[in-house]
Amino acid sequence: MAPVTYLEAIRQGLWEEMERDPAVFVMGEDVGVYGGAFKVTEGFVHRFGPERVVDTPISEMAIASSAYGAALTGMRPVAEFQFMDFITSAHSQIVQILAKSNWRWGAPAPMVLRGPTGGGVSGGPFHSQNNEMAYVHTPGLKVICPATARDAKGLIKSAVRDNNPVIFFEHKYLYRRIKEDLPAEEYTIPIGKARVHRRGKHLSIITYAATVYVAQEAAELLATEGIDVEILDLRTLLPLDRDAIRETVEKTNRVIVLHEDTKTGGIAGEIAAIINEEAFDFLDAPIVRITSLDSAVPFSPPLEKAFMPQVADVVRAARKLVKY
Amino acid sequence: MPAKLSSNEKIKAQQPTVANNPHGIPDWRLEQIPFHIESEWLEGQYHYKVVGPTDAPVPKLRPSKYLDREKSIEIYRLMLVNRRMEESLERMYKQSKVIGGLYLSLGQEATSVASAFALGADDWMGPMIRNQGSMIVRGFKPSDTMMQYMAKAGSPTRGRESGSHYGDHKVHNVVAPISHLGDSISVLAGCCMGARLQGREIAALGYIGDGGQSTGPTYEGFNFAAVKKLGVILLVEHNQWAYSTPVEMQFACKDLADRSIGYGVPGVIVDGTDANQVYDATYEAVQRAYRGEGASFIEAKLMRMKGHAMHDPANYVPAPVKEYWKRRDPILRYENFLREQGWITDDELKTISDGVNQWIEEERAVAEASPMPDPADAATDVYKEDGPIALKYGPIVVRQANEGAELTESSAPGHYK
Repeated sequence: MAPVTYLEAIRQGLWEEMERDPAVFVMGEDVGVYGGAFKVTEGFVHRFGPERVVDTPISEMAIASSAYGAALTGMRPVAEFQFMDFITSAHSQIVQILAKSNWRWGAPAPMVLRGPTGGGVSGGPFHSQNNEMAYVHTPGLKVICPATARDAKGLIKSAVRDNNPVIFFEHKYLYRRIKEDLPAEEYTIPIGKARVHRRGKHLSIITYAATVYVAQEAAELLATEGIDVEILDLRTLLPLDRDAIRETVEKTNRVIVLHEDTKTGGIAGEIAAIINEEAFDFLDAPIVRITSLDSAVPFSPPLEKAFMPQVADVVRAARKLVKY
Repeated sequence: MPAKLSSNEKIKAQQPTVANNPHGIPDWRLEQIPFHIESEWLEGQYHYKVVGPTDAPVPKLRPSKYLDREKSIEIYRLMLVNRRMEESLERMYKQSKVIGGLYLSLGQEATSVASAFALGADDWMGPMIRNQGSMIVRGFKPSDTMMQYMAKAGSPTRGRESGSHYGDHKVHNVVAPISHLGDSISVLAGCCMGARLQGREIAALGYIGDGGQSTGPTYEGFNFAAVKKLGVILLVEHNQWAYSTPVEMQFACKDLADRSIGYGVPGVIVDGTDANQVYDATYEAVQRAYRGEGASFIEAKLMRMKGHAMHDPANYVPAPVKEYWKRRDPILRYENFLREQGWITDDELKTISDGVNQWIEEERAVAEASPMPDPADAATDVYKEDGPIALKYGPIVVRQANEGAELTESSAPGHYK
């Protein structure tokens, strides 16, 4: 079987879930005849028809909350946000209505809100953001940020089957840049479980989404210097896999948390706090955060490069950390 | 001396006088509100004042096109339940048995009750804070609302939520409102969409105030319903005041129903203190929804006779305005209507009133007896556990699909490389 891109993996996962369960349907801007801005639902309307592949007005708030209304009748909607930057226009509905629904009045909201996130493509400040932490801060939601094609497919299937509102961030830089062979048989990946992307013993890089590959490139360089790096890919940010975080800290005793999201209020701070609470005695050095700058995402390539964490930043920090 | 009417003209004068407003929206009311609110400086202070006469006589109600005696009496009884329940709550508020604020709907009972009464069992409703009467019509008990306001463990939300913020997706089909205005409208559109995928055209009645008309979610949600031809009925309770802000400072149009033109749905203006008009307009909108013809817009003009909440004496409302609307008490008007029709006797009215009083007293006792919640219940059920979730209306009905089509690799370029 030919290797499959991250984009195709998501398409396969969604298609299989729609084949499996007629209660699953997709809705969003331009998802029908056009197939979505990134072509995730290309061809879906020809198979499943316009009743299950629903083009909507340009209203993120109405997409999120009408999907929720359908979920109240037992449907399993998958709502596409053309860019996750625009999810802020549905913020009130997601955090006030969807997230609190089961807790407030016992009405479950089995639904997925998915779309492209992240920078590195000169999308400018409104097509490049990493908005995940607003939702990690909201009890009642689940937040998924896959880094590999295999995980993207397995996790989108789990998200569709979950009985809660799941926010699924697809890194647009990865859509067509990574490829891998996927299992021939059907599979899912559990929500809330991290994955060791690379085994190592000298320090751990805890990361997720596109920066998994920044960590990987840094690890390959550092290996030539005898520094053996472990990479933990979180995969799910809410709920966080605290066991996996603790295990890698107990193993390597040195931690870099790396993400493309900005620093203040990013998940690196939360992870540092968890390590402080649960594995402080295992630390041999202070926890290092490597993140984007506390700024909006710039448009011009040299500016965007300066904004986002680079391999060289990780290598420099790692060298310093092992000597601490 | 008024000119003498011919017999034909006499009959015509007794027929429903349905006029159109300047934008062609049907206005079913028997009278126009002959005054408006302006602001002025008075002895160094800034006030609202009423401009125009406030002493117009109260017209008699016109019979409903659809309601018979039995249904009319039931609407009357439910309006009385609405009011007596709130009076009971008001007493408990003054006894410090209510936690937090108390939001009453005095003067709005006809709009809540008669509109909800037009819904079928499988339809949905999205109430706002003053639709306690609508909740009774949907089958909730007065003790449910009372326990909500008293933060009791026995309340529908087990003390998690305040006042009117409760609902039920299994039996009563009521979306629990949130405090943000207009947000339930698109949820109701989604309920209709879910039902349609399960082969059913249903109605979903969403309430919004004149103040809530100012929010983006109201427009976005109702536009969604309109373009998808979903059976959402947007019932705008134009109760003249958004907290303390008069409608003259909320929007520049005279009738909110004018906005139905922009949505591309039929609109109608009714007198919100007239249960017959409210019922008829909602009934017609519900039937339209069942026929799959889509959304409808109803503007009910009425008055919030209390403050925004109990703490607010509404001193900003000029006294003559309160007097004008007090004479248009929806329950009194309906009682007079039932008498004029010869549909009810004093004895029957007393029996209804005694029955309602007794029920409210029993419900109050139930609410008071409920314990406060167990602190251990504060943060449970944040997530729904795994397991099947049943379809509400039955199997999925897809009319258009192509079973043979297969997934092929995407060849088209994406938005960014």
